[in-house]
Amino acid sequence: MAGDGRAPLIQIRNVSRRYKRDVDEIHALEAVTLDIPAGHFVAFMGPSGSGKSTLLNLVSGIDRPSAGQVVVGGAQLNDLSEDELAHWRARHVGLIFQFFNLIPVLSARDNVGLPLLLTDLDKAERRRRAETALRVVGLAERSEHFPRALSGGEQQRVAIARAIVTDPDLIVADEPTGDLDARNAEDILSLLRQLKDEFGKTVVMVTHDPRALRFVDDAFHLDKGILLEGEAARRAGEAILLAAGGHSTTGAPLRQ
Amino acid sequence: MKYLGLIRANLGRNKLRTALTGGAIMLAVALVCMLLTMPAGMDAMLASMTTNTRISVHNKAGLVYSLPYAFTRKVRQVDGVAAAMSMTWFGGAFEEDGRITFPNFVVEPEHVGEVYPDYHIDPQQLADFQHYRDGAMVGRQTMKKYGWKIGDRITLRSTVWPVSLDARIVAEIPNERQQILWLNREYLDQALQAQGRPGLGIAGMMWVRATDPNQVNAIMRTIDDLSRNSEAETACETEKSFFSSFFGSLQGILAIVLIVTGLVTLCIIFIAANTASMAVRERSGELAVLKAIGFTRRTIFATLLAEAALLSTVAGLLGVGLTLGLTALLRAVATHNEALGPLGSFIVTAPVIVQGAFLSLFVGMLAGLVPSWGAARRPVVQTLHEVF
Repeated sequence: MAGDGRAPLIQIRNVSRRYKRDVDEIHALEAVTLDIPAGHFVAFMGPSGSGKSTLLNLVSGIDRPSAGQVVVGGAQLNDLSEDELAHWRARHVGLIFQFFNLIPVLSARDNVGLPLLLTDLDKAERRRRAETALRVVGLAERSEHFPRALSGGEQQRVAIARAIVTDPDLIVADEPTGDLDARNAEDILSLLRQLKDEFGKTVVMVTHDPRALRFVDDAFHLDKGILLEGEAARRAGEAILLAAGGHSTTGAPLRQ
Repeated sequence: MKYLGLIRANLGRNKLRTALTGGAIMLAVALVCMLLTMPAGMDAMLASMTTNTRISVHNKAGLVYSLPYAFTRKVRQVDGVAAAMSMTWFGGAFEEDGRITFPNFVVEPEHVGEVYPDYHIDPQQLADFQHYRDGAMVGRQTMKKYGWKIGDRITLRSTVWPVSLDARIVAEIPNERQQILWLNREYLDQALQAQGRPGLGIAGMMWVRATDPNQVNAIMRTIDDLSRNSEAETACETEKSFFSSFFGSLQGILAIVLIVTGLVTLCIIFIAANTASMAVRERSGELAVLKAIGFTRRTIFATLLAEAALLSTVAGLLGVGLTLGLTALLRAVATHNEALGPLGSFIVTAPVIVQGAFLSLFVGMLAGLVPSWGAARRPVVQTLHEVF
């Protein structure tokens, strides 16, 4: 995937997404335009129903816009068919979900190796890469364990290993700390930051978690399908911090 | 092959359900294979009962109509005929039974050995049968059934002729499955004449032995030509064909059983399809994730279908194995008890194994088709919305 450190990896131009629900038309996103540079860690934040997950689905090629353009790494996602998008995701995107979504009948290593089944790598190489990914997330010793034998935090680490095993440029995480306790949530956010800092990954995350603001480079705030900008965005960010106990994005208290 | 681990792991996620579904398929395939062995088994049984040189000659109008006895002499003169023997239904029953409990005929003892050399009748007993006018030759199964031995005397009351005949058992047909009893034709003839009746001028049917199997067709044509335009035209058949038509009703039952088996197979397909649907429904979240991480619709469809096909094929092959075991067991039982001989004829041939294997694969594919397609075709975003 194209994209150097300066050029935007993700370009979203005037994107809208509308759904039909029975007779009603739901406007999930309205005319959103934004750029995300390569190698950045950004968060989409906002209340439930604000359209942040919809935006994430568009960025990751899971969904297509009703109007506007989504360009990721030079690829016009609007033009790709469902199967072409699947191939594109397999090559370029690592996905992390709130509920980990590991296959319960596969070991940690086999779960991590799932995306590699879509490559031409032989079994030994797939195994080697899966173990490397597990080492990156600090779970090398638990590769034989099944999900039921892992804690929530460990399961999410396995999911992160699965997301990075194909060495994608873009990592997309949907509420990755939503089902974790505070300590594990911090660890996962730290790990995502590490992927950005040490491996140069672009990480896009949807979250409600105010702790995330300490780890990300940018936060985009959405409300009712609209991307907030300027003063509205600043106020939304402060409201989140205040609701969380008044900590700044650097971890220092917002108010003394 | 690289997806085999995933497929195998998915089959193992609910072991009880997999075992029960597999067991149902295994039993259904075993049942179908057992039935598929029956036509070949019947063929083998007929082959063991018959020769390729014996010909049945009977009235063209049907077995209940007779032939003129004098016709036997004409038949014996036909080129290629080694021997011919008339056989007429006596229909004898024991007074106390009041019904016929084994087939019994009057025959010409002097021709028995020539027409049935493959019966391996003891020469002395054969000579006795020819010598004693009231002699009877009895199949071993009937001998055993009634606990008879050579020298015993029995009385049979005919249900066809107005006579009762006292007979002395002088010979045995040494075949465990043979029930037949033969009396001397002359004995009945004289008994009828003793009552002032005209005697036995007819033959129920004839059995002819050809010297050469290659001449059988020509002999049959000649005999039928001999009787053409007479009051009793004949219809010749090979021995195998004659007994096949006797098994005709059995084949009808077989057809019904095959239809029932087809329905059972259909039920198994529905059961397997239901299992596959449940398996897919339970995993809709996982399937959504697989799609999201890049599994295409084709890959999802293929792995789900392969899962159903693998279960069904493995279960079906076990079913074929079960059939092999059962038929081997039946053969072993039949070896120890010759009266069960026909059971030993049900042999699983290579075509039956192939048909069983393909049936299993077919059941799996058909059962997995709809749920797999349903899971594969739904867009990833829709699946994610529904499950998360």
